[in-house]
Parts: sequence; C-alpha cells; structure tokens
Amino acid sequence: MDQQGAGGDVEVPAGLGLTAAEYEQLRPTVDAHHRYAVGEGQCSSLLAQRIHAPPAAVWAIVRRFDCPQVYKHFIRSCAVRPDPDAGDALRPGRLREVCVISGLPASTSTERLDHLDDAARVFGFSITGGEHRLRNYRSVTTVSELAGPGICTVVLESYAVDVPDGNTEDDTRLFADTVIRLNLQKLKSVAEASTSSSAPPPPSE
Amino acid sequence: MAEICCEAAAAAAGSDQKGECAGSRAARRRRMEIRRLRVVAEEASAKRRRLEADEEDAVGGRAPRYGVTSVCGRRRDMEDAVTARPEFINGHHFFGVFDGHGCSHVATSCGERMHQIVAEEATAAAGSSVSDETARWRGVMEKSYARMDAEAVVSRETAGPAPTCRCEMQLPKCDHVGSTAVVAVVGPRHLVVANCGDSRAVLSSGGATIPLSADHKPDRPDELERIHAAGGRVIFWDGARVFGMLAMSRAIGDSYLKPFVISDPEVLVVERKDGEDEFLILASDGLWDVVSNEVACKVVRTCLRNRAPRGGRERSSPTSNLSPRQSSASGGSSSSGDEEAGGPSGDGAGSESDGESAEDRACAEAAILLTKLALARQSADNVSVVVINLRRRPRS
Repeated sequence: MDQQGAGGDVEVPAGLGLTAAEYEQLRPTVDAHHRYAVGEGQCSSLLAQRIHAPPAAVWAIVRRFDCPQVYKHFIRSCAVRPDPDAGDALRPGRLREVCVISGLPASTSTERLDHLDDAARVFGFSITGGEHRLRNYRSVTTVSELAGPGICTVVLESYAVDVPDGNTEDDTRLFADTVIRLNLQKLKSVAEASTSSSAPPPPSE
Repeated sequence: MAEICCEAAAAAAGSDQKGECAGSRAARRRRMEIRRLRVVAEEASAKRRRLEADEEDAVGGRAPRYGVTSVCGRRRDMEDAVTARPEFINGHHFFGVFDGHGCSHVATSCGERMHQIVAEEATAAAGSSVSDETARWRGVMEKSYARMDAEAVVSRETAGPAPTCRCEMQLPKCDHVGSTAVVAVVGPRHLVVANCGDSRAVLSSGGATIPLSADHKPDRPDELERIHAAGGRVIFWDGARVFGMLAMSRAIGDSYLKPFVISDPEVLVVERKDGEDEFLILASDGLWDVVSNEVACKVVRTCLRNRAPRGGRERSSPTSNLSPRQSSASGGSSSSGDEEAGGPSGDGAGSESDGESAEDRACAEAAILLTKLALARQSADNVSVVVINLRRRPRS
C-alpha cells in the first residue's frame, strides 16, 4: 500500500488527504485492517474522509449492513436475505441483495457481511455475485477518532478487486474510487447533519 | 401476438428484420410488453383527446399531425417522459423526448416544464434586436436548457404534494439523477432541434434520412477532448462512460458529474422545405440502439404512404391489425368525436374528413410500429417515440 523509506521516514499515501501527523495516528488501524495481499490481475486502494461528528454517530451509520442507502449513492433498494438462525442479528455471513439505480454499469450486487466489530469500529463486506464487473471485491471501512482540538473523525475505506479483462489497474481504481469517494462525501453530509440537528437547542431565556 | 408483431415489423423493415422469434419465454415477455404498450397507448389517446378540447381555441395554422408512444419495455421502471404541445406559442409546436436515468423525477420535470421555459424564453427573445432567426433560436434553447438544468436540482421538491419517485428523503438533492433532452420546435418557416444526451432527432426529407442531432457519447472525439480538458476521465466500463459511470457526456441533472457532464444543448435550425420535408422522428436510445435511422424512416414512410387519402382505404397496411381505439395519441384531429365514432364525422365533405382522419392515425401507427420493432429487437431500455408529419395541411 505504501513504501516506507529508509530510516523510518513515513510517506503518506498520495491522494489520501491526510497530514503526516494524522496518518501516523492512524497507522495501527491501517496496518491491522487496510492491508491486502494483492495478486496478479488485482488492485487495491485506500481512501479517507474527515467528518466533523462524533465517531459513535458516524459508526452508527456505517455499520448498517441492512440499510446502506442511508449513506451510499446509487442504491435503488436493499434487502437482507432472511436467515432463520440469525433472526434480525447482523453478523458475519449475512447476505444482502442490492439493486442499483439505472444508468450505471451495474444492476444488482449480492454482498456478504464479513466483519462487524462494534468495539473496534471495523466493518467489512465482500461482493459475492450480481450483475456488475467487480469480481472478488473485498472492502473494509473503519471509523477512527483523531486526537486534537475539536471533534474529528476519520473514516478509512479500502478495497481489493480483480482488474476486469480489457481494463487497466488505473481504470479499475478510478471507477471504484469514484464510487467510494462519492459515498464518503455523502456519509460526511449525513453524519454532520444528524449531529447538528440533534444538538440541544440553546436556552430560550 | 408476438408472431404478428414480428410479421408486421418484417413487412415494414424488409430484410432488416429476422422473422423468427426467440424462445417461448422471450415470446411471452414480448407479449406482456406489447400488452403494456397497448395500455400506455390508450392512456395517451385519452390524454390526447383532453388536449384536443383545449386546442380548439388555438389560432393560427393547423397543428402538424403527430403520434406519440412511450413504453417501459424491458427496464424495471419507466423513466422516460414525452411532451407534445401544439401551438405552445403562436404558430409554433413543441415536441420533446426525455430519457431519465437514476430515477424518473428529472425526466418528469423536463416533461412538465421544458415547453413552458422555452415558451418564456422565445417570447422574451421575440422582442430582442437579434434579427438572425438561427442565432435567436440558439440563444432561446441554450437559456432554456440552463434553466431546466437548474430546476432539475430541486425537481423532486417541486413534484407536488405526493412525490412519486423513490429517492431517499435524507438529503434534499438527488445528484445522481438525470435525463436526456431532445426537443423540436416546428415553426412556420423553421425546424429547431436542441439536443443534450443520447436521444435523437431524425428528419426525412426528399426521401433522404437526415440526422438533426448527434448523440453525446463520452467517446465522441470532441466530447472526449472537452471532458479531458475539464480534468475528467472516460473509461470503457460496459461502454465508454464518464469516470466509468455515466454513458453519456451531456445530460440535464447529474450534478455529481459536473463540470464533466454538462447540460449545454447542440442546437440546429433548419429551414423547412415544402414539398420535400416528410416527417421528423424524436426517440430515446431505447429505439435507436436497435433500429437504424434508415430503417426507422423506412417504417414511418411506409405507414404514412399507406394511409394517403388516394386509394389508402383499399390497401392493407403493416398496422392493419390495430383498431383506431387502440392507437396511441394522434395529433391534429379537429374533433375528438372522430376517434370514438370510428366513422365519418359531420364536418365538411365526408371523403376529405375520412382522409384527414386516416392520416391522423398514421403517425400514431408509425410510432407504435417503431416501438414494437424496438421491443422485437430486444431493446433493453424504455422506448419513447414521437413521429411528426411535416407535410403542410390545408387550412380548414
């Protein structure tokens, strides 16, 4: 994912939009959850989004495996497959069927919940089927708090995916990064709006 | 019915259409689609009759005859909208096809508002000092599309007390919804066509097939250059797409892809040629993806010719299996009673009235036939078609 220079010099991945100090705080999370063994014909990427809202509020949105349209674009509908053993519990192994809006190069996506760790705020899913060109797509989203003045939450989302025939790594990364970047921007809007609307009103006296 | 559909299409399209049908499942699906087409056509016909009542007060020349069809086809949702507004301003007639994507509300908003905006801009421009008709209409259309694009951002909020689209309520904007817009204004001396997206306008004149719009595909060389200059990217991901996402380079709406996907129309103003101009077809890519310009014009020409007053009633037509009640909307009837009575009306000479009535239905039949042809050829999209007869009609 990133090259570490000689002598412990840290290079922040290009385009991530984080300062070196911020990235240093997030290194343990990146090392633990956002590294992939990427083989021939695959690519991966990591994106970050700063959000001015408490991490708990952001996590409450991110963890909704059953309702991704709250913060993801391009979703027409989403249905979690019934699991008689699990009931309503969201736990690894659950599947959801996502229908995509028209006009895009996808119509459906079958997705499996891989990780849901409320303590560490780690959410992971993979795409197991559907009509689209993203094969062997795996993704992890983490919600971290940055120390410092003011509330600052950083959401990291990473993925690994096959490069489809006829496309380059750069094409594939451009497509997937565009979708994820738009989703993270919406997550920021939704989380910050819900936080500001839930603030207690100032005393009327 | 599927066999009749294929047979009719084969008769009209000649060797371009294979007569054989796919499997029974495909045949059943097509029968359902054709049934849906019939329902939509009847609804459009009822709407047309209501419009005709309003139109009787119109002044000026006779409105051109036209036919409209708009069907869901193989898509999950209907996201197209079609507008026909004869005499929307004095002596001018508005036609538009709007193929939505992402959701329906931007196309619906275009269908409801574009003709009003164009009328306002045309009326304002009429008083301007611009004497060149071409430059004046280009300005009208460019301003109109810009206004329509601005309205699209808030179109869901203005849809009315009961919004019918499915967008989430969390955010006020729906950045990823948009629509094509191909618009034609038929005036006494000029045809004005404005296009944004990959719907299309095709003119038949003097037996020649003349495209009046060029599809805005992201890999069109000049569009590709414009997108790159703006810092965007086009990749081939199920076809050429802006950032691998949208398969057109211009659209109303789609705020999330601006400034790469723009709403500026390409405008063409052509002088009408009496004696040569035959008809104009506006349609969404649900038609054009599976039917070439030439085949479409051949189909329409056959329908219009077979319905000519001279000897028309003696010859069977490719749509002879359709009864008048089942035709889609047909413009230009002077009395709504014509369609319902099914016989000669009380107006004027019987033979002349019969001729007009037959010609009125020909455009509707042409639109239906093109739609059936698109469905038979496995179009994967909504199909919307407007056929406008450009031959002048004598004043009554």
